[in-house]
Amino acid sequence: MKEGLTFIFFLIVLTSICDTINQLFLKSAINSLSLSSPITIIKIIKFIIELTMIPRVWISFLFSVLSLCIWLFVLSKVDLNFAFSIDSMHYIFIAFASRHILKEKVGFKRWFGTISIIIGIILVSLS
Amino acid sequence: MFKKNLTLKIILFLVFSDILETFTQFCFKKSALSQSGIDIRIFSDIFNFLLGAFSSWFLWLGLLSVLLTFVVWSTVLSKIDLSVAVPVASFSYILIPLVSIIFLQEKISLLRWSGIFFILIGVIFVSLSSKERQDSLE
Repeated sequence: MKEGLTFIFFLIVLTSICDTINQLFLKSAINSLSLSSPITIIKIIKFIIELTMIPRVWISFLFSVLSLCIWLFVLSKVDLNFAFSIDSMHYIFIAFASRHILKEKVGFKRWFGTISIIIGIILVSLS
Repeated sequence: MFKKNLTLKIILFLVFSDILETFTQFCFKKSALSQSGIDIRIFSDIFNFLLGAFSSWFLWLGLLSVLLTFVVWSTVLSKIDLSVAVPVASFSYILIPLVSIIFLQEKISLLRWSGIFFILIGVIFVSLSSKERQDSLE
């Protein structure tokens, strides 16, 4: 049972990493496009079609499918609340990756908020 | 004064993508539950598991929901930073308990309330940190 749980833990971390990579590719593809301000349905459709032409988006899909497969397996083994509380560390991965790869400015407020959210999610999941 | 880029419209989009995400999770959990009898030891078990899961129509409903989430989420990401969008999307952790209280008459424990409180504080701080997105197009 114990070693089984360690394995599941490892799988959940793997899902988080896959999710982070997925988001990074998607965001970097989106950054190369632009959606001008009054958002309309037609503009969104055009934007999505343009987006699917970018190879990076398909890499992003690949990782999201991978993540989905692992996640499905995890959910068949453990409760959703346990899985979610460990999965919340993916916020940390996102914050680091956004800062170092996408060069977003992650200041004190954003770090504080992110960590507060992680604490909150763990509390909600455990109760 | 900080320049806010997180408009009401973006927040509505985020909440909508949250609701879709929740629905997706529900569908996936349903399809995975139908496969809980399978004990996975070797690679072919994984294949059997996936085959079983894909024969559940909940999984296909979930996948449709994923597709819709992708459209909404991409629209959101075109407007704000990734390190803002992802934390603010955790709003669903507040939304779901609130819906449970109002519509399902569920009781929420003190521990859960404190969790909701932490998430709320976090979302507010991350939102406040959202400044005008630097144009990375150059």
